[in-house]
Amino acid sequence: MAEATRYYEDVEEGDEAPASSHTLTRTDLVRYAGASGDYNPMHHDEVLATAAGQPSVFGHGMFSMGLLGTALTDYVGPGNLTHYKVRFSRQTWPGEELTTKIVVTGKRVEDGRNLVDLECSLANGDGEVKVVGEATAVLPSKS
Amino acid sequence: MSDDELSKIIGKPMSKSRVVVERGPVANFATAVCDSNRVYRDPRAAAEAGLKAIPVPPTYPFVMQTWGEFAEEQPADKPTGNPMGEVIGPLMAKGGIILHGEQEFIYHRPVFVGDVLVGEGHVVDAYAKESKGKTMTFLVTETVWRDEATSEPVVTSRFNLIHRG
Repeated sequence: MAEATRYYEDVEEGDEAPASSHTLTRTDLVRYAGASGDYNPMHHDEVLATAAGQPSVFGHGMFSMGLLGTALTDYVGPGNLTHYKVRFSRQTWPGEELTTKIVVTGKRVEDGRNLVDLECSLANGDGEVKVVGEATAVLPSKS
Repeated sequence: MSDDELSKIIGKPMSKSRVVVERGPVANFATAVCDSNRVYRDPRAAAEAGLKAIPVPPTYPFVMQTWGEFAEEQPADKPTGNPMGEVIGPLMAKGGIILHGEQEFIYHRPVFVGDVLVGEGHVVDAYAKESKGKTMTFLVTETVWRDEATSEPVVTSRFNLIHRG
């Protein structure tokens, strides 16, 4: 659930958004396949995935970006992102607990807009980073 | 494939697509990215959040064509040819794998349920690098989605694909 509106004045460089954790299930992968239209069998067909040498099915990269996006919009508010970019570094596996990390790296006013820059990542319980990226959001001002 | 051969596809048009953003797919997509926020499901919640309509989750632009590209509404001037295929086809014929390396969205304004958007995609970069004895071929495409009514840009999507030989 989204929190109450977060204002530009509420946010300072170095602030960290509340971490959110999600344990990846095969049902997540099937649901994401259906909702995205990405039916690459490596993400839902255990028989094909293991025959291809994978230990099991694995997560869509865009599921990871989506999960991290949910944490971002929980922090800055839906509709407020102006930029979001990630690099995919590792596969995700069912059973892994994926935890978001979002840190405010700066604040600036540009063209009259109050912008907040963030760095963001998603990692498993061992700290192995799955996706790492950056985002910018425009936040409302109290004044 | 040499950098000269690769650079030939830079700038080539790749796609043109008209999509309609609909409520049902947006709500289901929000569920699929573990987002329970009512703002993606109920126009009253969107209004309470100060939004003019239901917005879409940040990565929804990646799947808009799956849900909103209707055959009879497509532009007549879709590009012919497949510049990505020209590169990936010969590379895959020699083996290797395709990886989604990076993904970027630039939101010029929020995407809303009810939007009708026209996206035009181009190849914006293509180059190769040697890494640990393997050739990595990088292809970057950029799709700019514009509001059909105003032609204003709404969201730009940059897709970075890697072929690892």
